[in-house]
Amino acid sequence: MLPYEIQREIELFVLREARLLDCGQFEAWLELYQTDPLNVASIVYEDHAILAIRVQRLLEARALVLTPMPRTTHLVSNIEVLESNADDYTVAAAFICVEHQGERQRMYSGRQTHQLSRRDGSFRIKLKRVNLINCDGTHSPIAIPL
Amino acid sequence: MDSTIEPLTTDDIRGLVRPDHVHRRAYADAAVFALEQERIFGRLWIYVAHESQLKKPGDFVRTRLAAREILVTRHHDGQIYVLHNRCPHRGARLCMVERGSSRLFACPYHAWTFRPDGSLASVPHQKSYPKTFDLADPQNHMQRIAHVASYRGFVFANLGENSGSLADHLGPITDVIDNLVDRAPDGEIEIADSSFTLEYRGNWKLHLENAADVFHPSFVHSSSVTPARNAPANASIIDQDQTREMLLANGFTGNEWEGIELSGLDGGHTYMTSFYNKGVLVHEDSDPVALRYKAALQERLGAERMARVLGMRRFNNIIYPNLVLNAQYQQMRVTIPVTVDRTIVRIHCFRLKGAPDEIFHRAIRFMTTLGSPASMIFSDDVEMLERCQQGLARETGPWIDFSRGLDSDRRGENGSISGAASEMPMRVQFEAWVDCMTREAA
Repeated sequence: MLPYEIQREIELFVLREARLLDCGQFEAWLELYQTDPLNVASIVYEDHAILAIRVQRLLEARALVLTPMPRTTHLVSNIEVLESNADDYTVAAAFICVEHQGERQRMYSGRQTHQLSRRDGSFRIKLKRVNLINCDGTHSPIAIPL
Repeated sequence: MDSTIEPLTTDDIRGLVRPDHVHRRAYADAAVFALEQERIFGRLWIYVAHESQLKKPGDFVRTRLAAREILVTRHHDGQIYVLHNRCPHRGARLCMVERGSSRLFACPYHAWTFRPDGSLASVPHQKSYPKTFDLADPQNHMQRIAHVASYRGFVFANLGENSGSLADHLGPITDVIDNLVDRAPDGEIEIADSSFTLEYRGNWKLHLENAADVFHPSFVHSSSVTPARNAPANASIIDQDQTREMLLANGFTGNEWEGIELSGLDGGHTYMTSFYNKGVLVHEDSDPVALRYKAALQERLGAERMARVLGMRRFNNIIYPNLVLNAQYQQMRVTIPVTVDRTIVRIHCFRLKGAPDEIFHRAIRFMTTLGSPASMIFSDDVEMLERCQQGLARETGPWIDFSRGLDSDRRGENGSISGAASEMPMRVQFEAWVDCMTREAA
């Protein structure tokens, strides 16, 4: 088992990512991602450069789908470090995201995996994979990152 | 939503469409929608599956046809059947998955089992059924849709009793299916395993009109054009800048705008010339993947024919009433009406067999960028479709305007031709709509 401090540090990092999304601090959220990164289509499959375009759209460009701006609550739980190798960690968690916009409310849920690298006293996300429980279901537009 | 219950007359329908305006009831009246299900989706040839989903006997896909749920199957004799997804015994839905492969369909209720052609294979405890009960009686079979036809792998079904041929319905728009298949170095295409399903709260026609509309992108998509313009080129390492180029392409320059031509054909089919002109979106000779692809294609077609196939550069081709094909980028969308104000859009792409894997990766990438639920492009389109429906649902201001370009459209060999600014494609769609909706007898 990992030392408790490291486990706790990782948990706090994952929770911070969720908080940044909920507070609309998308640039700070993007900074958590390392600047490097299929035959299967993903709902989102983007590296830092494309995520940066997405973040600019969220922040400045007043996309139609963002009027009014959705409010979210990202809940992250069941956080387990599956693998640790020197300063790299694979972290699994479950999540629920409730999104409220105008007169509708939606709920997303699933499991997520982070590949984290220790950097500058914290971590950077090398890769985040979100598996929605309804990935093959019928969707309406998803605007705020999960 | 209106609470009209009286059946609509032919005159009622004609009264909803003027040469330059359409009445909001065409989008918001449940009685109009019911008639569309009967006279458009119930009588025209409707795309139901691609043959590459039905490679071997027993393979099936489940989809909708008008208000019905259907299974498209391949039987042991190799023939394709379209069946109602309903057990004739007690009426239960039989198949509960989107696709798969099964030698028999078994109803879990009283265990009647059916072959992929819908015939009844067995019932348990047969001696308890009366002597007159016959396994071979079609009444005991899964109900078949009589009219099924394929065009180069695209399977269509028709619920009408006196349907004309599929070829008559498609007319010259078969050229887009030809073009898609001809782009494959092996002469065959295969539908990708993954696809997206989106639902919007709006009428089905709004999506078709939007797919035929090249006037809106510079407005609706400015929120992705601007960040893409501010982003450095080639910063992404996962897609050779394809996503950024696609986002940029919606911000037309004057020249690009002038170069676009729209075509409208009899039967309501329409298409537009392409407006993607850069990077991996066109097969430039500086692109090693394009060179390998063209070498493979040329082997089958020869240089001259290949130039013709690759030279057909169109964007959306809309086969009335609900199929949107983009051959150049191997994309397909199927618009499925659910209720007057709810629509499902299925988004697919194809693999060109014999082409380098990278060409398929680009098709997947294209589908993700333009059609994913998180698409920075399509999500803004969906928002506009929903706002239109919200406005059209209200009684006020009953007429909406489709007059742009009315004075400048030209007559071409196969139909109407116009510049990018014209709403001619919507007028052509509504001509077909009135034609279908006012035909009393099937």
